[in-house]
Amino acid sequence: MSKAFAVLGLFDSADALMKAIPKVKARKLGRLETYTPYPIHGMDDALELRRSPLGGMVLVMGVIGALTALGFQYWISAIDYPIVTGGKAPWSWEAFIPIMFEVTVLFATFTAGLGMLLLLNKLPFFGHPVLSAKAMRAITRDRFALAVEADPELDAEAAKAALKDAGAQDIEVLDTPEQTPFLTSDFILRTLGGIFVACLVSGFVMFWAIKLFPVLPPMSHMQDQPRLSAQQASTFFKDGRGMRMPVTGTVARGYLPSATGTQEEATALPNPLPRTPEVFAQGKAAFTNRCAVCHGAIGNGMGSLTAAYGAKPANLQAQQFRDYADGKLYWVIVNGKNAMPGHAADLDENQRWAVVHYVRALQRAQNAKDEDLR
Amino acid sequence: MSKAVALPDVLREPLLTDGPMSIGGLDDQVLSATERTPPRAWFIALAITITAMTIGFGFIGYTIATGIGAWGNNSPVFWAFDIINFVFWVGIGHAGTLISAILFLFRMRWRNAIARFAEAMTIFAVMCAGIFPLIHVGRPWLAFWLFPYPNQRAIWTNFRSPLLWDVFAVSTYFSVSLMFWYLGLVPDIASMRDRTTNKWKKPIYTFLALGWHGSGRHWQHYEKAYLLLAGLATGLVLSVHSVVSFDFATSVVPGWHMTIFPPYFVAGAIFAGFSMVVIVLVVVRETMDLKNLITIRHLDVMNKVILGMSCLMGYSYAMEGFTAWYSQNTYLHHTFLNIIGGSYGWAGWLTIACNIGIPQLLWFKKCRTSYFWMILVAISVTIGMWFERFVIIVISLSQDFLPSAWRLYKPTMVDFGILLGSFGLFFTLVLIFARVLPVIATTEVKGILPGAQPETGGHHE
Repeated sequence: MSKAFAVLGLFDSADALMKAIPKVKARKLGRLETYTPYPIHGMDDALELRRSPLGGMVLVMGVIGALTALGFQYWISAIDYPIVTGGKAPWSWEAFIPIMFEVTVLFATFTAGLGMLLLLNKLPFFGHPVLSAKAMRAITRDRFALAVEADPELDAEAAKAALKDAGAQDIEVLDTPEQTPFLTSDFILRTLGGIFVACLVSGFVMFWAIKLFPVLPPMSHMQDQPRLSAQQASTFFKDGRGMRMPVTGTVARGYLPSATGTQEEATALPNPLPRTPEVFAQGKAAFTNRCAVCHGAIGNGMGSLTAAYGAKPANLQAQQFRDYADGKLYWVIVNGKNAMPGHAADLDENQRWAVVHYVRALQRAQNAKDEDLR
Repeated sequence: MSKAVALPDVLREPLLTDGPMSIGGLDDQVLSATERTPPRAWFIALAITITAMTIGFGFIGYTIATGIGAWGNNSPVFWAFDIINFVFWVGIGHAGTLISAILFLFRMRWRNAIARFAEAMTIFAVMCAGIFPLIHVGRPWLAFWLFPYPNQRAIWTNFRSPLLWDVFAVSTYFSVSLMFWYLGLVPDIASMRDRTTNKWKKPIYTFLALGWHGSGRHWQHYEKAYLLLAGLATGLVLSVHSVVSFDFATSVVPGWHMTIFPPYFVAGAIFAGFSMVVIVLVVVRETMDLKNLITIRHLDVMNKVILGMSCLMGYSYAMEGFTAWYSQNTYLHHTFLNIIGGSYGWAGWLTIACNIGIPQLLWFKKCRTSYFWMILVAISVTIGMWFERFVIIVISLSQDFLPSAWRLYKPTMVDFGILLGSFGLFFTLVLIFARVLPVIATTEVKGILPGAQPETGGHHE
């Protein structure tokens, strides 16, 4: 025979229940508990329950919620992503108050609700012995049960007598349920198998859904647009090209071809740029980036690549080049000469002429006259 | 626990039910509704609401497929039906939280009979409301970008924007309402679990009741949690519509930039919500045979709340007008003249008539207790409150600072279809709820029936 867990005495009114509690309590048979369809006034005192700790829990979690929201908003708005919007300072705490309030309430309500259910009342729990009592049907309806529960032992006969004396209408003895382990290997295997089958089924469903309904492509956001990509054929025009060819002789803005003839023909080209510090700075930058690697930092043909490749770049300090017209230097920059490639693609019009000015400055610096020092 | 105080009979609250009612009889009356086959009228009503809902979702699908250019919104009226409907539905929800939380804190025991239904309506209304910002963003599958989460784009949301406050306010409101509603349902579902003999319903109720067995220790924590939730939800319900009003009030648009907006919006929300509760409760009371539980006194009290809110709305309108006049601001003057005289002047007058004029009928007890008049008032308030948001949003936007940008707004069929769909969704959920879960919080009503509490138990809340 199994051990008794509790003896339940059923009463027809809350009043009768409350009157019975002190009588049964006086016999000191075990832990007293009531099961009622709705909360009864004064039950906390009658059962000598301690105050519910829920209020303190909610207060603490509410404060944590407020601080979490404030800290989070501070870190994001002032440290990690300080974007000025509406002319407000990164740490504009006034604007953070609404969300602080909401998060406080969120933390506090979930603590109140879930803390009550899960922590204090230890629910969900479907194995409580009272749930399988015959009296349960009446307890959640309109009757009131007083239970003497094992603590840890229970004298069932004495408890029955006590409840009867206190006026209980019906008495029921609940046995301690046999404990069955929850996580049996069978249960674990079945759960894992279930998850596996679910994955398999949903995978197949997704696969076939996309196969069978190609009208439902996955979200492509804005990648799918009615426009022609580069190198794509078009059926719109007869020649199959997506774009029209420009009229013969069309020149793109800023790409007017220059120095198209021979080097001699370029002799007459004047340098359009003034000799200003800005132009020299521009020329120096372009020369350093593009020319100095072969011609050397001072234009003497001793660049860093010279030794490595065995090439012989021009020594711009030589008399031949000091006598060159600006236009001829410009022509070489555009078209290249001997092993030197043209730099038309790398330097724009202004940069080329600026380089010419800069080369002149280098030549002057290496052959300075006395009056230059004054 | 304070000492028991014996009240003289004149100070005792009148009975909250008509006729005698036993604790067990309450269960038989309320919970048995879920066990019977619904009447034919229920199926007809459900068919109508599901049709409306399907039409609405069809138009939502069309909107998502083609883009929100399918709506009438266009510069400068970028907010129109979508935001009107959002504010309207969030407002409807407020009555439920007011009834379940604020009236609980004020110990208004009559609330117990109607709290459950009103809370359910809150949840359904917020669900309807949630649809609109979601489809308004254009690409709803990316709506999660609204939440601040660490992402590989390395950007964060703007915490100084009232629109983000709104995201937090409405999602918190929904979670908290759901929690509140479910906690109230747990003991009721436990009753249904122990009542039902249906082998399919039993495991569902067993699962949902979480093994509730009404132990004294559980009730102690439960009551504490309920009280705390009521207190928290009270602050929340006042904050949610205030935050919604910040969407407008923190901008510089004439007619929006006003400090009166938060309390004005909250009052309007409660106003609209109570009207919806009255409409639904009258139908429930008649068709589900609950005349003795939802008494004419309940409806009378709710109509008084509506009347009070109507007067508050009248005061708010007057103050809005006064603020506009007193501001000496040409733009504000223009916007307010538009409300009563411009192209949308009819909407302004309709709002004033429906929200201020017609509800004055409720000063008469005959109107407060007659179905015809209370339904008339409730429907007019529902229409009026919808148009109030139309007035606030469309009139202010259509003619703001720059006359060259002015443009009249015309809704398209898609706009109307989605509005219809949201009503369809709301009433479909209400109808299903009425047949699946207890429409009256039986546990709470049991506790206030005569003789339910021990005479010696002392005063307890």
